[in-house]
Amino acid sequence: MTREADRADTDVDQGEVPGTLGSVRAQGLGKAYQLYEKPMHRFLDAVLGQTKRGRDFWALRNVHLDIRGGATVGIIGENGAGKSTLLKLLAGITTPTTGSVEVHGRVTSLIELGAGFHPEFSGRENIHLACSILGISNEEAEELKPSIIEFSELGDFIDRPVKTYSSGMFVRLGFAVATCVNPTVLMVDEALAVGDEHFRNKCLQRLNDFREEGGTTIYVSHDLGSVQSMCQHVVLIEQGEVVEQGPAEAVSETYLSRVKERGAKRTMSMMERGTREATRWGSGEIEIEAVYLINSAGEPAHAIATGEHFTVRIIYRVVADVEQPVFGVGLYRTDGTYLNGSNHFWREEPIVLDKLVAGETGEVDMALGGMPFLAGEYFVTTFLYDHSKEPPTPIDHREHVARFAVVDDLRRQHGLVQLQTAWAVRRGDPVHQNHESGR
Amino acid sequence: MIATLRSLHRQRHLLADFVVRDLKARYVGSAMGFFWSIVFPIVNLFVFMFVFRLLLKARWGESGGETDTALIMLAGILVWTAFAETVGRATNCLVENANLIQKVVFPSEILPVYLTISSLINMLIGLPIVLIGCMVFGVSWPGWWYVYIPLLLLLQILFTVGLGYLLATLNLFLRDTYHLVGVALQVWMFATPIFYPAEMVRNTRIMLPHWLSFLSNGPLGVWEKGENKGEPVVLTAEDGGFFYLDWMLDYNPMHWLIQAWRDVTIFERAPDSMMLLKLAIVGIVLFWLGSVFFRRHQYQFPDLL
Repeated sequence: MTREADRADTDVDQGEVPGTLGSVRAQGLGKAYQLYEKPMHRFLDAVLGQTKRGRDFWALRNVHLDIRGGATVGIIGENGAGKSTLLKLLAGITTPTTGSVEVHGRVTSLIELGAGFHPEFSGRENIHLACSILGISNEEAEELKPSIIEFSELGDFIDRPVKTYSSGMFVRLGFAVATCVNPTVLMVDEALAVGDEHFRNKCLQRLNDFREEGGTTIYVSHDLGSVQSMCQHVVLIEQGEVVEQGPAEAVSETYLSRVKERGAKRTMSMMERGTREATRWGSGEIEIEAVYLINSAGEPAHAIATGEHFTVRIIYRVVADVEQPVFGVGLYRTDGTYLNGSNHFWREEPIVLDKLVAGETGEVDMALGGMPFLAGEYFVTTFLYDHSKEPPTPIDHREHVARFAVVDDLRRQHGLVQLQTAWAVRRGDPVHQNHESGR
Repeated sequence: MIATLRSLHRQRHLLADFVVRDLKARYVGSAMGFFWSIVFPIVNLFVFMFVFRLLLKARWGESGGETDTALIMLAGILVWTAFAETVGRATNCLVENANLIQKVVFPSEILPVYLTISSLINMLIGLPIVLIGCMVFGVSWPGWWYVYIPLLLLLQILFTVGLGYLLATLNLFLRDTYHLVGVALQVWMFATPIFYPAEMVRNTRIMLPHWLSFLSNGPLGVWEKGENKGEPVVLTAEDGGFFYLDWMLDYNPMHWLIQAWRDVTIFERAPDSMMLLKLAIVGIVLFWLGSVFFRRHQYQFPDLL
């Protein structure tokens, strides 16, 4: 399908090509970029109509997709796997090198919100122009305008130049335009991590409504949690190729195992990097050389599942004699929330290290029966303080020495932590009187 | 070419919106707004009259008075500005609208076209000043020759858009194009008879040094001035023959175009039909070349930005 067809002839296509409204089909889709060593080579190739001076870089290869109308499909993969390339191909923004894309219906992409807004013009004028760019007739645009303005919650600002908008207002207007124009296929590229809480919820609500009204949504993310919560069908991409596609649970499992596999390799290098880069302070009689996260299989890991047994292992080396050193571990969420801190001394049965002598090495383990956190990214901070002094002074305090991800395959609970909840449902007349009547 | 025209027709509403946006953007935030489109040519008119007539005592041909000279220059400047401004902006238009091309399904073929139309409208706002000036100073009166105006506009559009397509595409492959175009337009402006009459260039020749003799492009003829005036030219060991400037008229579509505009607006006559024919051929060929080249590479634009 050519770009024109995508843009203007879709109404015609619907009648001629089999496929339900909102369906997206890709066959043998591939995208190669030409890389040139010198700009002059690119120029010569273009002018002479050749392709011999550059070399191909395949960002995407041989992708087959068959998305029926009304489905919500997630595309997941690590950064650089080719997710955005695929989305741009499906949206018809870029042209595939191999294969073809068929889309039935009007596509709106939330790849960039407010693309094409002119800063000097008012919000109202920009709505008009944006509709025009999306290929919407003037009459339809006039009809849509009130709902767009209402959704954007811009109030009087709608008649002021867009350059006076805050970034949040800009994005609100962009989102309002993109979703109010009655698309049949919506492509979302993690664009929702913007705006305040209130508007973000409103956006999610809008996406839910869209889905319930039978719209097709293609959602791209590297965040497994958000993909799982939105999509029944997930496509996993790795290094430009589709590794697996199918029901969300099955694909998530593959994704997790792959992340873990790679995570194990990466943990080592991350520790190395951490040693040099992370903030640390203290007198330095003992050095914390490395910090590992050990998973239930006893291997260093980068990702831990909720409920899984895990251990934080600290490897230390003593430079000079210290009396009563105490090791501790702090867990933080990546947004900075301090979740938990503990050490081996402030306990019912404290472990007291009378004296560590120079040259000695060893390891300290903090084990946890089950990872209590739900899906997210976390930091480990290690504390090493000299408790022979009052108050204790730092020997080697290392902020954010390790980073790990918690993955929650089951998703039985929402929020931050997993709680051991007990539930009961009793049907029929209440056995217990409630408190007020009993008073 | 047909495909490009068809797609432009389909996108005509978007095209119109872009033209309106561009015209508004020129004056958004300014108190006098569109009035500036008129002020600018008027001020220009008085400046040219002052400089060229009073200071340089310039004359346009045998008959030219000061007002003629100024109006003739002004007509040339209006046409040239519309052309040069468009070509300069069109060369960079894909780069400037990168976020549209990369993030939205966007018909980029409208970009050079809307720039051309916007500049032409600006030119058409200034043109009445020339016409009114002609009437006020008794230089010329409106007449049947005005029927050529739509044809001239069409030819100007074909030529400008064709060049715009070509340069915009080239600029994606080699960003130096934009800078090169800026320099080329400057040279081109002075090589076009805008500030001086075309007759001044006719038969003007420069004696070349011998190491540039390969540039020699005309007969030796006779000496035109000096003590040997009228005698046949004999080259010495240092001389390399004459370099004639006639090509600045003979191969310069912008000269033809400006000449045609002046014929219609000032000289009360129809443009030379040979010139119009040449202009039409160049315009159509350039538009065809440009649109085919643009279209052939259009699928790569999002990747090249």
